[in-house]
Amino acid sequence: MFVHVPGPWSPLFGRLTLDSIPYTNPIILFAFAFSVVAGLMIVVPVLYYRKVGYLFREWLTTVDHKKIGIMYILLGLVMMFRGFVDGMMIRTQQVMADGPKSLGYLGAAHGYLPPEHFDQIYSSHGTLMIIFAVTPILTGLGNIIVPLQIGARDMAFPMMNAVSLWLTAVGAMLVMASLFIGDFSTAGWVGLAPLTEVPFSPSVGVDYWLWAIQISSIGTTLNAINMIATIVGMRAPGMRWDRLPIFTWTTLSTNIIGLTSFPILGVALALLGADRYLGTHFFTAGMGGDLMLYTNLFWIWGHPEVYFLVLPAFGIISEVIPTFAEKPLFGYITMVAATFAIAGISWTVWLHHFFTMGAGPYVNTFFSVATMLVGIPTGVKVFNWLFTLYRGRLTFTAPMLWAVGALFLLLIGGLTGMMLAIPAVNYTVHNSVFVIAHFHCMVLLIAYSIFAATGYWFPKVFGFRLDERSGKMFFYTFSLGTAVLFIAMFALGFMGETRRLDYLYDTQWMPALVTEEIGIGIYTLSCYYFAKMLYVSIRDRAKNRVGADAWGTSRTLEWLTHSPVPFYNFAVTPQVNTRDELSWRYANNVAGVRPSRFEDFHMPNNTVVPLLIGILAFGFGFGLVWRIWWMAGFSLLAIIAVVIYRSFARDPGYIVSAETLAKLEGADEPLSIITETQHLAELGMITETRHLTEAEAH
Amino acid sequence: MAAHHSDPVLHPEVQQASFTGYTVGFVMSLLLLLAALLLTEQHALPPLKLLGAISALAMVALFAQCFLFFGLNIALHNIWKSVSLVLTVPLFILTIGLTVWMFHQLADLTMLPGMQVMPGMPGMTMQPTLLQ
Amino acid sequence: MDGNIIRDGKMPPLWHYGHEEHDVISAKTFGFWLYMLSDALLFAGLFAAYAVLDHAMNMAGGPVEAQVVHPIAATWQTLAVLSSVFAYSLATVALKRGSRAGLIAGMAVAIVLGAVFIGLELADFASLVHTGATPDTSGFLSAFFVLIASHGLHMAFGLLWMLVMLVQVLRFGLSTAVVAQLLNLRLFWQFQASVWVCVYVFVYLKGTI
Repeated sequence: MFVHVPGPWSPLFGRLTLDSIPYTNPIILFAFAFSVVAGLMIVVPVLYYRKVGYLFREWLTTVDHKKIGIMYILLGLVMMFRGFVDGMMIRTQQVMADGPKSLGYLGAAHGYLPPEHFDQIYSSHGTLMIIFAVTPILTGLGNIIVPLQIGARDMAFPMMNAVSLWLTAVGAMLVMASLFIGDFSTAGWVGLAPLTEVPFSPSVGVDYWLWAIQISSIGTTLNAINMIATIVGMRAPGMRWDRLPIFTWTTLSTNIIGLTSFPILGVALALLGADRYLGTHFFTAGMGGDLMLYTNLFWIWGHPEVYFLVLPAFGIISEVIPTFAEKPLFGYITMVAATFAIAGISWTVWLHHFFTMGAGPYVNTFFSVATMLVGIPTGVKVFNWLFTLYRGRLTFTAPMLWAVGALFLLLIGGLTGMMLAIPAVNYTVHNSVFVIAHFHCMVLLIAYSIFAATGYWFPKVFGFRLDERSGKMFFYTFSLGTAVLFIAMFALGFMGETRRLDYLYDTQWMPALVTEEIGIGIYTLSCYYFAKMLYVSIRDRAKNRVGADAWGTSRTLEWLTHSPVPFYNFAVTPQVNTRDELSWRYANNVAGVRPSRFEDFHMPNNTVVPLLIGILAFGFGFGLVWRIWWMAGFSLLAIIAVVIYRSFARDPGYIVSAETLAKLEGADEPLSIITETQHLAELGMITETRHLTEAEAH
Repeated sequence: MAAHHSDPVLHPEVQQASFTGYTVGFVMSLLLLLAALLLTEQHALPPLKLLGAISALAMVALFAQCFLFFGLNIALHNIWKSVSLVLTVPLFILTIGLTVWMFHQLADLTMLPGMQVMPGMPGMTMQPTLLQ
Repeated sequence: MDGNIIRDGKMPPLWHYGHEEHDVISAKTFGFWLYMLSDALLFAGLFAAYAVLDHAMNMAGGPVEAQVVHPIAATWQTLAVLSSVFAYSLATVALKRGSRAGLIAGMAVAIVLGAVFIGLELADFASLVHTGATPDTSGFLSAFFVLIASHGLHMAFGLLWMLVMLVQVLRFGLSTAVVAQLLNLRLFWQFQASVWVCVYVFVYLKGTI
C-alpha cells in the first residue's frame, strides 16, 4: 500500500539520516549560522531577563486576539524577510548566469546556484511570500482590528483563534526546517504535477511543501470560521450592517473566500499526498491519472486566494485614505458591493491560469470575459478612493504614502492583468516574466497596504507612533526598488524571458538584468530603513506617544478606546449611533466622554492546549515528511486525545470586577499590551480576579 | 457565560427538534433514493435523461433534508445558517459544473477519436495516455 | 451619512450598560455550521475530481465503473446511514423533552447503525481489493476509493464524537456546553446523510447507467 521511495529507511528515523543535513553547502551553512545568531538574539535576552515564564504565560498560551494578531504579524514579517532573501538570491543568480561565458561558482556551471538549489529557492520564495508572509500578516491585522472596529471584547472562539495561529506557525516552521534538514520542493509554489509525483521528485522536498501548506491552511480555515462568526455575532449594539467599517466588510468577504476555497486546496494536496504516500493515480502521467486535474483544483483555490489577499488590502486603503483626507469614504455602499462582487467573480476565473491547457474557445472565452469583469468593481473602488481624495485635506504621513502608492501599483498590475485576461495575448506571454511582473505588482500592492496598516494601527496597539522620517525613507527606497526592478522585468517579459530560469542564454538581456539587480539592491537598502524605523520608534517612544485617537482625524470605533488597547478592549461596550462613529462623536463634542460607571465582565482564561496542538501538529507533519510513521501516528492520536481531554475540561474563565476596571481606567498610563498581569496584581491594580465556579458558568 | 440562569434545553435550537419532521425527512430521503434505484435498475430512460432524473431526485432529497433535518428557516437563530448556505450553494455549482464543463471540452478537443476505450470492453490491457 | 444629527436635541446613548446576553449555543452552532459549509466544499472538490476521473481514459485498463459499483449492496448502506441519522435525530427529540434516557438510547442506536454502515463499507472495500480493484490500479479507482473513504472517515469520526458525548452526557448532564456539542453533532451527523445521498446517486447509481 505505502509507496516505496528510494533511499534508506529505518523504523525509528524514517528516511532521516545524517546525510539529510546539507552541511557541505556553504550557502545553507551561512543561512544556518544566521538563523542561529538571530535565534540567540531572542533567546539570550529572554533567559537573561528571566522572561521565559512571562513569555509562556502571557504570549504562548494567550487567547487574547490582539496578542495573537501581533504574533501572526511577527511570524509574517520574519517569513517575509526570508522570502525577500530568496528573491535576492534569484535575482543575483540570474544576473550572474547570463550567457554561455558566464562564470560558475560553488559547484554551479553558471552563477552560484546549481539548478536543483535554484529551483528550491524560487519554490520557497513563492510559498513563503504568499502562504507564510502575506496571509499571516493580513490574518493578524484582521485579528487585531476587527474586534476593535465592531466593539467586541474578543473573537467568537478565542481558543480556536490560538489554534489557528499555532497551525500557521507550524507550517512556517516546516518550511524553515526544510532549509536545514533535507531539502524543499523544486516544483514551484504551485506544485506542478506530475513533477511533484514520486518518480520525478523522490526526495522529501515536495512533502515538506505539501504538509506545510496543508497544516497552515487548516489554521486559515479555522480563522475564517472565527472571523465570520465574530463579525456576524459579536457586533456592539447599534453596529448595523450599514455602519460596519469597510475594513471589517473586506475581512468578512475575504474570510468567506477563505472558508470556502481552502478546502479545495486541501483536496488538491490530499490527493497529491495520496499519490505520494498510498500510490494512487490522481495526477500521475499514465495509469489513468490526469495531471491537469491538479492544476484545476489548485487554481480553484488559487484564484480566490488572490482575492483573499487583496480584499483586506483594499479595506486598509479604504480606512487610511479617509483618515488622512479628512473626509468620509466616497461611495460606502458601492465599496461594499464592489467588494462582494470581486469575491463572487473570483470563483469564476480560475482557468485563466491555464488558458494554454487548450480547453477550447468556449471555455477560454467564458473565463476570459469573467476575468475582465473583475475590472469593473475594482474600477469602482479606485474611483471611490480618488473621489475621497478629491478636495480632501490631505496629510501625507507614511501610511498615507503607502496607501497612495498602492493605488499606482493596482493600476499597473490591474491593467497588465487585463492584458493577460485575453487568451490570445496569454498564449504569447504566458510563462514569461511578464506574468511575474504583473502579479508582483498585485502582491506588492498588498505589501504596500500591509505597511500602510502597520504604520496606521501600530499606535493603537503599542501606544506610540512609528518614526515618520525613517518610515518615509522606507517608503521611498522601497518604491524606487519596485519601479526599477519591475519595469525592467516587464521589459524582459516582452523580450521573451521565461520564468524560473537558472541559466539565461541571451546576453542581450544583460542590461535589464543588471537593472533588476540594482532594484533588488535598493530594496535591501529599504530593509535598513525598516529596521531603523523600528529602532528609532522604540527609542523615541516617549516622544511619539499618542492618545486614544493617534491621528486626530480617525473615523472608526477602534480609535475610541485607549492606545495602547487594554486587554479588555472597551471598558464598557460602546453604543454605535452612526457609520463613522468617532467622527460623529467629534462633530458632537462627545469623543472624550468616558463611561460613567463600570460593570463586572467575563474573560476567558489562557490555555496551553493550542500550543500543545501546534507542537503535536509539527510532529505530525515532520513525521509524515520523513515517513517516520510512529511519530506521525503518535502525534495524530495525541492531537485527538488532547481535543477530547479539552472537551472534558470545564474552564469557566474569570471575572474582572468593576473596581478593578475603575482602577485600570483611572490610571495615568494606559495598560500596555506587554504589561504582565501578574505585575498588575502585585501593584494592586487587579484586586479581584475571581474564577467562576462551574455552577455559575453553566 | 450567558445562560447562567436559563436552561439550555429551552434553547430554540433544541426545541426545533421535531419527531414528525425527522420522520418525514427520513422516509422521504429513503423513498426518493429507492425511486432513483428503481429507475436505474430498470434502465427506465435513456442514459442522459436517466442521469437527469436521478440527479433531480437527489436534489429533492437534499432540499428536503435542508428543511426537515437541518431545520433551516428564517427564524432569528437560524437565519445566518440559511444565508450562509444560500451563499455557498453557487460555489458547489461553479466548482463542479465548470470543472466538468472544461474537462469535457478538453476531452473533446484532445482525445484522438478511436483511441477511446470502450466502457466495459473485456480484456483491455492497453493503458491510454495522451501521447498514444 | 447620518452625520451630525442629534435626535430631538437629545444625545443618544454612547455606552451600552447592562450585561450583554450572548447566546453561547447559537454562536457555537453557527461556527460549526460554517465549518460544515467548508467541509461541504471539500466534498465538492472530491466530487469534481471524481467527475473528471470518471472517464474511459482514466480506467487505465482496470475495471470500469459498472464493475466496481453495486447499487443494491449500497442500498443497505443507505439504509444504515439514514436510520442512524434518524436515530440520532430522535435522540435530540428526547433531548428537547429533557429526557436523558431517551437521548442515550437514541445515541446508542445511532452508534450501532453507524458502525454497521462502516462495517458494510469495509466489507465492500475488502471484496473490491480481493478482485484486484485496488486504489492504485487506475486514476478512476483512486478517485472512487478516496471519495468514499473520505465519507467513511467522517462517519468514523462522528462515531468517536458520539461516544465522547455519551460519556459527557452521563458525566455532566445537560449543561450548556454539552447541549451545544450535541446540537453540533446533530448537524454533523445529518450532514453525513446529505453527503451519502450524493455518493449513492452520483457514484453508485450513475455508475450503472
